[in-house]
Amino acid sequence: MVRPYGRWIMPNLRKVAGTKEVAITGASVGAVVTELVKRYPALAANLLLDGQIRPHVIITVNGHSTDDVDAPVTEFDVVSIFPPLAGG
Amino acid sequence: MNGWNGKILEIDLATLTHKSYPLDMEMAKQFIGGRGLGARLLWDLVGPEVEPLSPENVLIFTNGPLTGTGYQTSNRFSVTTKSPLTGTVLDANSGGYWGMQFKKTGYDVLIVRGKAQKPVWIEVKNGEVAFHDASALWGMRVFAVTEKLGQDNNKRNVLCIGPAGENLSRIAAIMNDRERAAARGGPGAVMGSKNLKAIVVEGSTRPEVMDKERYKFLMYETKKLLAASPLTSQALPEFGTVVLMNIMNNIGALATRNHQQTQFEGAEAISGEELTEKYLVKNQACWACPIGCTRISKTEKVEGEGPEFESTWAFGAQCGIDDLPAIIEVNALCNDLGLDTISAGSTIACAMELSEKGYLDSDLRFGRADQLALAVEAMAYRRDIGAELADGSLRLATKYGHPELSMTSKGLEFPAYDPRGLQGQGLLYATSNRGGCHMRGNMIGLEVLGLPKLIDRFQVQGKSSFVILNQNSNAAIDSLVLCKFTNMGVADEYFARVLSAVTGVEYATGDMIKTGERVWNLERLYNNREGFTAQNDTLPPRLLTEAPTDGPSKGWVSKLEPMLKEYYRTRGWDENGVPTPKKLAELGLAELAEASYR
Repeated sequence: MVRPYGRWIMPNLRKVAGTKEVAITGASVGAVVTELVKRYPALAANLLLDGQIRPHVIITVNGHSTDDVDAPVTEFDVVSIFPPLAGG
Repeated sequence: MNGWNGKILEIDLATLTHKSYPLDMEMAKQFIGGRGLGARLLWDLVGPEVEPLSPENVLIFTNGPLTGTGYQTSNRFSVTTKSPLTGTVLDANSGGYWGMQFKKTGYDVLIVRGKAQKPVWIEVKNGEVAFHDASALWGMRVFAVTEKLGQDNNKRNVLCIGPAGENLSRIAAIMNDRERAAARGGPGAVMGSKNLKAIVVEGSTRPEVMDKERYKFLMYETKKLLAASPLTSQALPEFGTVVLMNIMNNIGALATRNHQQTQFEGAEAISGEELTEKYLVKNQACWACPIGCTRISKTEKVEGEGPEFESTWAFGAQCGIDDLPAIIEVNALCNDLGLDTISAGSTIACAMELSEKGYLDSDLRFGRADQLALAVEAMAYRRDIGAELADGSLRLATKYGHPELSMTSKGLEFPAYDPRGLQGQGLLYATSNRGGCHMRGNMIGLEVLGLPKLIDRFQVQGKSSFVILNQNSNAAIDSLVLCKFTNMGVADEYFARVLSAVTGVEYATGDMIKTGERVWNLERLYNNREGFTAQNDTLPPRLLTEAPTDGPSKGWVSKLEPMLKEYYRTRGWDENGVPTPKKLAELGLAELAEASYR
């Protein structure tokens, strides 16, 4: 399960996906993102840079941040994707 | 004189007199300006015998050598005093336009001493000072006073207090340019205790820049750096600060219902996405700021600045409220009354828990959005239960026999981030010199957002080094006085180059962090002199012993003790948290060493 957050400048991640949650199959964080982009190609510009996940895109697995694209994911995990965030 | 104006203006309200004298330039080079310079002056002016709300306390308004030069975000000012909420050294800083205009009056520092016999407001116009009767303004709210005294963003700027400051609420803010706030720790109460309603500044002195060509190039480079960073060019202007709501909730670090939980089921309803979608009118920027993170939002009842993330959280998740229009409206009300939104929201949350548990006889209950505005109004005017809420959650909870329900360190209410899921943030809160605060070295960048690199938020060992680096860096930026958001695109040491170009004093690589460390140690010494010890470097028992029962932070409490030991050692302090003479000598504070062992 992937939960895309954020209102992207163009396109809006949730708007493009048409839902707040998407069921995706993938054995790792990287595989999930690749599959997500394959399903919603318009997201590529926001999520990827030279084939890698863009700097400052935030990914959590079950609420735990990760910057490891090889981190394993099972069918019971929730992957959340956030655009670059700042504030405080 | 380059960068600095080289002048201090000192006002004695008891006699309605003023004098001007040269700024000690050695001191200025060592502490730069803003928070650092303010702390150094406070050290000399306000000792432990002074009660914060007595005429002997002072308000020290400072700008910095970059202020008003046009360098990106060089609009801010700082106000330093002894806090009536915490009893610690306090500086609060604010953006907008007032700081820039203050610099243009020809002064670097404005010291306000004494107490006027009746309400006054001060006008500083091109170096000239006039005292005006404020009897007719006393009781007026912030927006009305600001308009009445002729706020004109680029020409004439108004700083004032609202009813909360007049009524000596210990969580009262000093407001400037209508809706900007130097809020934390109650500086508005100090201003109220002096019968000082407002300070209006108007000036035409342009700060001199030593190396104009180098400065112009650095400004150009800074523009490029800020534009290249997705944080300062996209995240902040597009989403504002409230966008943090969903991520903090997602990771289980969003303090909820007075820190009883770490996730809020209503987070989506009060998120930045929701604010942008339904209530955003436009973005706004402070003077010389290319980022423009300020949100102008609108409901059926109000239109104004904000709310920022912390304010939205304080009246939202912390009070168990998911009614965003009510939060926008109470945020505007706090601005108009002159109250710190974080402390106001968190104090109401504390009262809600006290009431629900039967310790306090009040109608306040979690989730009751209809009670927010009533409670805030009562607080500002010290009416009914508001008389007790007005002095913050620690005094309230202590009075009703349960100080452990105050979510504070050193008496200052925490912001949104629950430190059980963010070990570094807990250490930051516990050691912050002005009490529980994220603006002294926010660890969210490292522990959540991956700025500049993601670290394990639950890790304990080694965390103190990151906290110390952030604290020192923030102290330096506060002394420059620049906006911390600039630092998301521009490194600390880059500011040293800008400072050198402007002042002609060469600051080398490492000098910014060293200056920040000097400021931090001086503030620590000040607190030690006030009687604060290692025992005050702590967190409420809830955060140390009660683990969340669900969510991503399940099972975690703040493991403060081992982090503190490591922190003292890494800081070069003794085991009691006192800076050693060796450390003070290293920082050029040797003459203060004796005081640390009094």
